[in-house]
Amino acid sequence: MTLTPQKLVLRSILAGVVLLGVMAACVWIGSQDVSLADVLKGPGVEGSPNIQYIIFMQERLPRICLAAIVGAALACAGVVFQAILRNPLADPYILGVSSGAGLGSIVAVLFSGTVIYGRIAGHFSWIAEATGMSSLMIMAFVGAMLTVWLVWVIGRVTGRTHVTGLLLAGVVVNAFFSALIMFLLSIARARQLQSTMFWLMGHMMLPENPLMVWFSGGVVLLGIVCLLMLGNSLNILSFGSDDAQSLGVPVKRTCFLAFGCAALITSVAVSLSGLIGFVGLVVPHAVRLVVGPDHRLLIPLSAIAGASFLVVADTIARVIIAPAILPVGVITALVGGPFFLILLIRYTKNIQWGPA
Amino acid sequence: MSLIEFDKVSFGYEQTPILKDLTLSVQTNSFWAIIGPNGSGKSTFLSLLSGHIKPQQGVVCVDQQVVTTLNTSQRAQKISLVRQEFIPVFGYSVFETVMMARYVRQSKRLFENAADREAVRAALEATDTLNFAERPLGHLSGGERQRVFIARALAQETPILLLDEPTSHLDLKHQIKIFDLLKQMQIQQGKTILLVTHDINLAVQYCDRVLLLGSDEAFFEGPPEQVLDSGRVESIFGVQGYQGRIQEEKFFVPLGQFSKDRPE
Repeated sequence: MTLTPQKLVLRSILAGVVLLGVMAACVWIGSQDVSLADVLKGPGVEGSPNIQYIIFMQERLPRICLAAIVGAALACAGVVFQAILRNPLADPYILGVSSGAGLGSIVAVLFSGTVIYGRIAGHFSWIAEATGMSSLMIMAFVGAMLTVWLVWVIGRVTGRTHVTGLLLAGVVVNAFFSALIMFLLSIARARQLQSTMFWLMGHMMLPENPLMVWFSGGVVLLGIVCLLMLGNSLNILSFGSDDAQSLGVPVKRTCFLAFGCAALITSVAVSLSGLIGFVGLVVPHAVRLVVGPDHRLLIPLSAIAGASFLVVADTIARVIIAPAILPVGVITALVGGPFFLILLIRYTKNIQWGPA
Repeated sequence: MSLIEFDKVSFGYEQTPILKDLTLSVQTNSFWAIIGPNGSGKSTFLSLLSGHIKPQQGVVCVDQQVVTTLNTSQRAQKISLVRQEFIPVFGYSVFETVMMARYVRQSKRLFENAADREAVRAALEATDTLNFAERPLGHLSGGERQRVFIARALAQETPILLLDEPTSHLDLKHQIKIFDLLKQMQIQQGKTILLVTHDINLAVQYCDRVLLLGSDEAFFEGPPEQVLDSGRVESIFGVQGYQGRIQEEKFFVPLGQFSKDRPE
């Protein structure tokens, strides 16, 4: 009936065990056969490196971990945006995160050869060293954060009611940046085009530096914990800002915090993996069906379920046309698209779209 | 002692003033009805009182403190508000919904304690909603849902309770039930209640004081029998009607061009 700390911890541990199981299973699946016995032999003696060990440690394991981090971040951000916007069909991309990150990455790809870009990037190389991220990832991250900030400011200025303002600002900024992306793509050269297109389809990049996994995992975990602490406020906020205010929730501050944390973890996810759609939509909804709408439970469980979902989706993407790798965004979209339509049909009758 | 003070409060939007120089004081443990035609500023009055909007002139005080200087949490400890009927997007249960009122009493705690659960249970019991505590809000009838939102306001444990047309979608029986419930809260828990309503006759039956707002910034305030004089009601609402008495209390039936007992 009511949520107790024991219940929350117990369910999170239970879900966590499932996630670990999924990761443990998926790490052995791939175009190359890798066996535990061979991996345990270690990196191999000098002169004859153990290929299986290298594949496992440098490719499989980091990739599975990245998929889990990205999935957790996207699902969790989905929960939060749905609560703030009071719209079960919202997902992290609705607020322009995608187009901003896309723009950032394309700028990075197109201008990476130029002198000016080299100079500027040179000044900020310490960021790359400290986080293990490539300059494309950093540009994507910066683009995403800047766009969210822009959407927030426009939403504050235009919207008499907060929610409608944010939603409209997101849609407009998205459209405008998408046009810019199209323009840049149309003047790009063929070789540059492919890596950008892959990125736009949602492509898990292999980490060049293991530091990146630790860094992004840490940021995402921190963001999720912050959002969990806002669980009660998010429950109330989903009743609308007027109600929240009369129940004593500091609406502006809470919105800002929740929005900021969700945008941060989305930006990290997008910079790691490009545009992976529908995770933030499908996962929170499925979890809500099972555990109910209480955000104190919904946030941690969605994070864990999102991680499991993306690990599985990424594994499918790795093997379905092996030895080539499909962008994982294709898999999530194929699952998420029909799911979204079902939701749309179920919900359009009940949603109050107007300002309330 | 007066709990709420309006001192020369004015508010309006460009070109359309709504309230002008409104001055009144509300005594502790009184039951007020706010009555007036559409657009006369009834909801504005509630928003000013709950601190959601700031008066352009004058001050609104609650407990001798200017309401707009209080922060959200301080206000929520003094005033609870029941809005007009609405259905939330997500499927929270009745119990979860009422528990949200305890936010302001939890001071940053993530989990509810025994005192919170007891307050919620008492509020559900008082509003006769305990037997469907586990059902989602969206599955209830309008009257049941309205009682749940009143339960939520009770669980907030504030001295002042504001309601914006709590009976507008309800049938006769449920209207009476809500008014009875509120009167009971006034008597048993010493609440000060202000509610916006269109039902003049129920206001006369239940309320101690009436604030009648006219569309031309005029306002009248006092005991219902004095304020709700038939001539004044007719002129403010722009209708004619029939006024009579049931035992001691007045009642008023509006009559139109095609009413059976139409005015001469």
